[in-house]
Amino acid sequence: MGGLLPCDPAALPPYRLPAHIARMLALLKLIQSLIKTLHSDGTPGQVAAGMALGAALGLTPFMNVHNLVVFALILLLNVSFGGGMLGWALFVPLGFILDPVFHAIGLSLLEAPSLRSLWTGWYNTPLMPYTNFNNSVVLGSVVAWLALALPIFFGARYGVARYRATIGARVQQSRFYKAITASKAYNFYRLFRPE
Amino acid sequence: MAVKIFRWKAIAPLAVLLVLIAVLLWLFAEPVAKDTTEEVSTELLGTQVDVGKLDIIADEASVDLRELQIADPFDVNRNLVEAAEIRLKLNPLALAEKKFVVENFQLSGMRFGTDRKEPAKPVESGGFAPQAMKAVRQWSEQFDVPLLTLTPIDTIKQLVLNPTQLTSVQAAQDVAARADSAKAGLERSLQQLDIKGTVDTARALVQRLRTSNPRQLGIDGTRKALEDGKRTVDRLEDAKKRLTDLEQQVTGGASAFTSGLQTLDEARKKDYAFARSLLQLPTFSAPEIGEAFFGKVSIDRFQQALYYTDLARHYMPPGLLPREDPGPQRLRASGKTIRFPKERAWPKFLLQAGRMDLAIGGDSPLEGAYEAVVQGLTSDPSLYGKPTVLRTSRTAEGSAIARIDVGAVMDHVRPDRIRDSAAASLRGVKLPDLTVPGLPFTLKPGTGTATLNFARAGDRLLGRWSISASQAAWALDSAGRKLNDLESIVFRVVSGLKELSIDARVSGTVKAPRLSVSSNLDRAIADRLQAVIGEEVAKAEKMVRAKVDRLVAAKVEPVKRRVAQVRGQAEQRLASEQKSVQDVEAQLQAELKRLTGAVPGIKLPKLGF
Repeated sequence: MGGLLPCDPAALPPYRLPAHIARMLALLKLIQSLIKTLHSDGTPGQVAAGMALGAALGLTPFMNVHNLVVFALILLLNVSFGGGMLGWALFVPLGFILDPVFHAIGLSLLEAPSLRSLWTGWYNTPLMPYTNFNNSVVLGSVVAWLALALPIFFGARYGVARYRATIGARVQQSRFYKAITASKAYNFYRLFRPE
Repeated sequence: MAVKIFRWKAIAPLAVLLVLIAVLLWLFAEPVAKDTTEEVSTELLGTQVDVGKLDIIADEASVDLRELQIADPFDVNRNLVEAAEIRLKLNPLALAEKKFVVENFQLSGMRFGTDRKEPAKPVESGGFAPQAMKAVRQWSEQFDVPLLTLTPIDTIKQLVLNPTQLTSVQAAQDVAARADSAKAGLERSLQQLDIKGTVDTARALVQRLRTSNPRQLGIDGTRKALEDGKRTVDRLEDAKKRLTDLEQQVTGGASAFTSGLQTLDEARKKDYAFARSLLQLPTFSAPEIGEAFFGKVSIDRFQQALYYTDLARHYMPPGLLPREDPGPQRLRASGKTIRFPKERAWPKFLLQAGRMDLAIGGDSPLEGAYEAVVQGLTSDPSLYGKPTVLRTSRTAEGSAIARIDVGAVMDHVRPDRIRDSAAASLRGVKLPDLTVPGLPFTLKPGTGTATLNFARAGDRLLGRWSISASQAAWALDSAGRKLNDLESIVFRVVSGLKELSIDARVSGTVKAPRLSVSSNLDRAIADRLQAVIGEEVAKAEKMVRAKVDRLVAAKVEPVKRRVAQVRGQAEQRLASEQKSVQDVEAQLQAELKRLTGAVPGIKLPKLGF
């Protein structure tokens, strides 16, 4: 029996979205995440705490042990999961841009004679080297994140509170917001909404 | 309502996530480890490394590598080494510190110098190995290996020499320029001394004193005249002293000119050699023939030894200071990863003991079982505290005429005493064919003995490479051009010699190495060439010297005359100035004496004459 299709679909090359459409979709997802987070049930403090933790995922090289710990904290602590993901998404480009700064910070710390005994101790301690603390970009970015965590927290808390007090209610009534919250992904997200 | 701190319901998804990560690690650990091993070892060694299969045996803390191929960095179509299986037993405690301590290493099915199915890809990533390769290639280029030229005498063209190409002409021009500059400098110095002014002033005073009568001048007038005389004498003394200094400078300059003229003679010898090279006259010098035949191939051997010692010194540095390495390749910046060695702790990498079984089969006289042992190969020799040792030995009876012996010691324990040495001896092996640069000859040494000894202490080198064979054969490159008479003579000489013995030595420092190559062919070829074309070459050399002498004489002789003239003028001028000062000083002193004697009882100022 001849098929309805003129050729075998399996033989066709996999369809790939054009790059500009993929970029637009990524941006759309970011906006979706932003809107959902800003209107989530969490308090501004919970959203801000999630963002401060999520910033670690974006600012520091991702495939490192400390990020597994940070991700576990985002899940386990009663902070906004959406805030964490939003923080991650917002700080990834910043992390790439600031890599030379992180390298300089990390290298100056690793080469500081006063800290040499500390690093030598850590380097020769079981499991510690797997954190890659002795890499200049990893150390510099973690230190920078630790230094920025509190300003990120307070800044985000103020921003979310101001948003909700001003235009939040109007956005919530818009069709755009309703379309976003109706998506299936939102149901998964609700699992981790703050209590 | 109080806000809860923990979200307990997230524990289950987190556990699922961790299990998922563990499963992914389990699934992909081996392929990732295989790719990483290939990538890292390729970058470390600067040549393509392929691993057929990698198995992680977790319960034994072991890794099994199969079908390992390491391409020869100096020949992309060959493998330096191939191994069927390598078993690495790792120390789990060291692994917890992210350190690779290989307690035991077993390698089997090892083969050397095998052909590759596909040429090795060039290593494009950074790293030290490509830099080391570039450095040793530059090192080998600094040897001035002569090319054996066997141009027939009857084809020698008229020698056309451009005087500007000659070193002695350039040197003569330099000397002439220096002579002119010295002459101008002397004039300036004399002007600055103002000898004429001083002498004229003194003469005027002498004239004034001659017409003076002390009785008319009175005591005060006489005293004043005497004081004027003393001041002028002081100025004349000062002028004499400065003239003496200038004379010394002129004498020094003259000796510099003399040595400059001597360099002209040395430059002329270089010009003879240059002009001779333009004619491409055949050489009869046995050392030159040895270097021309086997210089390049000898340098290749020493270059390889130097490359591996460079790698060893880079990857096995002495001392306990922190060490920087490039960070891992990733989307984000790599940065730098710093190691912090500590006394009585594990090195980053250590191969405590490795054993390699080599079985050579077939009809080769080398047939037999061998064992190679490696001890203490480490990234931190100061932590390990002992030199790295490699040695091979035969583990079963074999042919008495064939044997492989390799031994190497790398002592990088102390920064002030870094020494690497290696000795390899292969007896009864088929030696590779050698081509002679510039000639369509191929030497097929056949079965023989090859030895390589190489030692490097600090910056100093000492190496010896030798091969010997009793049934060597020579072949003509069939695709090559037709041989001329001289080449035919040389080919007849070499093809009549079945015995082959080559001995190459390198010494000196890495920056200034010396190479000497000799073989049993050198004297035979030199004697034969001397007998056949010695007279014609001598005539040609005489013609070369005459031509150079004529050109050089035309440019150099005027310079020599000019130098002699400048020197003579300078000496004459100085003598004349000194005489005029001395004359006027004598006249002045006579007048002062007359004035002093004419007024007895007057206490005169101390004049100092």
